[in-house]
Amino acid sequence: MAIAGTSDARRSLGFLSRDTLVKWAPLLVLLVLIAFFAVMEPRFLSIRNFARILIAATPALMIAVGVTFIIIMGSIDLSMEGTVSVCAVIFAFCFIWLGGTLASWAWLALPFALLVGAVLGFVNGLIHVKLKIPSFMASLAMGFVGTGLAMVMTGGDRIRIEDEAFRALLTVRWFNFPIMVYVAGLFLLIAWFIQTRTTLGRNFYAVGGGEALAHGSGLNVDRVRIMGFTLAGVFFAVGALLAVGRIGIAETATGNNFMFLSITAVVVGGTALWGGIGGVWNTLVGVLIVFVIGNGMVVIGLPGYIQDGVLGLLVILAVILSTDRKSISFVK
Amino acid sequence: MSFIKEYIEKETINRRNLLIASAYGLGGVAATGLLGTGMARAAIADPTVAWSYRNRTNPYWNEIVSGGEAFMEGIGKSKGELVHLINEGSSEKSLADVKATLARTNGELALAIDTNDAPNARPVVEACVDAGAFVSTLWNKTDDLHPWDFGDNYVSHMSWSDEGPAEQTARILLDAIGGTGGIVHLGGIASNNPAIERLNGLKNALKDYPDVELLAAEPADWDTQKANQVMSAFLTRFGDEIKGVHCANDTIAYGVLEALRAEGIDDMPMVSYDGNPQAVQLVAERKILATVFTNPHWGGGITASLAYHAATGHFKPSEEPKEHREFNGPTIFVTPEDAVAFKASYLDDVPTYDWTDFWGPSNGPIVYK
Repeated sequence: MAIAGTSDARRSLGFLSRDTLVKWAPLLVLLVLIAFFAVMEPRFLSIRNFARILIAATPALMIAVGVTFIIIMGSIDLSMEGTVSVCAVIFAFCFIWLGGTLASWAWLALPFALLVGAVLGFVNGLIHVKLKIPSFMASLAMGFVGTGLAMVMTGGDRIRIEDEAFRALLTVRWFNFPIMVYVAGLFLLIAWFIQTRTTLGRNFYAVGGGEALAHGSGLNVDRVRIMGFTLAGVFFAVGALLAVGRIGIAETATGNNFMFLSITAVVVGGTALWGGIGGVWNTLVGVLIVFVIGNGMVVIGLPGYIQDGVLGLLVILAVILSTDRKSISFVK
Repeated sequence: MSFIKEYIEKETINRRNLLIASAYGLGGVAATGLLGTGMARAAIADPTVAWSYRNRTNPYWNEIVSGGEAFMEGIGKSKGELVHLINEGSSEKSLADVKATLARTNGELALAIDTNDAPNARPVVEACVDAGAFVSTLWNKTDDLHPWDFGDNYVSHMSWSDEGPAEQTARILLDAIGGTGGIVHLGGIASNNPAIERLNGLKNALKDYPDVELLAAEPADWDTQKANQVMSAFLTRFGDEIKGVHCANDTIAYGVLEALRAEGIDDMPMVSYDGNPQAVQLVAERKILATVFTNPHWGGGITASLAYHAATGHFKPSEEPKEHREFNGPTIFVTPEDAVAFKASYLDDVPTYDWTDFWGPSNGPIVYK
């Protein structure tokens, strides 16, 4: 744990205290970015464009929400790319094998994919906790295993999902936004419910805030960790389903880039990497920041290669804004 | 803090072991060098065949390697006997793997390789030549490195020139939009040679179409999801001004198609490149107007075959003309008219190639600018 004592005196400086600023900084950054892009190119500020940003963001949002729980615990999960690929590929195989349309038994492939995600997360958690391997290493390795597994299953091929009913996730719109946006919204609410209204959710904060203390208070930390990784696996699977829904293709590459995207989004949103701070709403704001930049850069016509640089700067800025550096005794 | 102490001790021992092992390994390589230098092997009866490449996740490299495996079956061996040296995009790993394999096989090696980047080709080739192995390269090498400067052991180099074919697909696109209006280009990784050539091809074609404006060219990194996002943003930026889309490859085209589908647009003219099975199907359905097939299956097989047959003495590379040492791979246009026939003869039922017809399907010597 990297957090030592904090100074209470500094924290109660009145209305615009450091705490308030820290809490709202990510949202402020998001609003400033939107305003900036809107001024540069008025077309950015249209419902259709917001729908485009949200379509792009939904799979990453689900994955980032999953990893948020893990980061709140002070661990990290880097298995998302492998897990997403495996879930996407298994879903596609089952979906086609069971009939290839949602109107048949093929709908069973949806819950089955979530189950696969849960199992992968569970194994990931078991390896981390029981073999006492740092979560960083255990999950990264599991991610590679997942990518390899997806590769073996597909033999490098793509699987197309052409079913109109499933693709309605993308093609059918309610109030200007495709169904997948509402699905992601629903799962975000579920995540928020887990975070605030369940014992498990509170326990994530307990573990992240001070593991020794949580352990000393009689909390079965190992169990909380394993359940956390399982839960993250389920959200990765939801992300995988939305990713397949968006492109209509399941392949080994379905999971590509999600590690960088989701971790960046979580950190930019203000969830601290050492645990105990942040939550799913932070992650929503973080994901929106990342995708608003990606969309806005192209919309105002800045070259693509600047985007990564800007994102990197934003991560540093976000960490500076969202944490009180003076309260940290050492950094590792 | 005892565990920290223990850890440091363990690491110290590990490092010592590593150093000893490295010294031993280097000694081994040096010893091989002493014995092997200048040893011009006439023929190797049964060389190990290896393919060194990025990884199989990428559909293109998967095709290349499946060609290598088909070649192995063609010479009566099993797929599993092909040695895979996977560099995961690292030139250092590529070179280290080659050196390790040379040491293990004592130079009795027929190597097919894409060296990951051009500068890495020279050390790889020199290591093979020094060990008496036979090597054929694909895609990457510097312009000053030529097979004929290394006798028989650097057998051949194959590449593809994409500028011409990309220009031709661009003309198909520009004609389809009636020679007027705006188009966008979604490219590969900006620094990749094929990405540069394919954009140049488009620009060459545009010279003859003064009424067409290239609204924007943005890299999409050969990635479906990235392409999807870039195309969405293009739609915000240009809206109805976009009349056609030029994609640097098929995986990009898939992302573009889905971005358009999300907006209810299903008749936007577009062209792509690579001739993946799914793209060919889309060409047959007229969702894509043209793609270019480069036959990676044949490329992967023939590169391994050249190295193998040179190693076994089937032919003597130094007696072949220069256009047989450095040549361009095949390019086949796929348009809606011939997509179905093409798919039947090349993709659904992969032809059995004659792996000793080294240059039949190739496409002329490599021309340096």
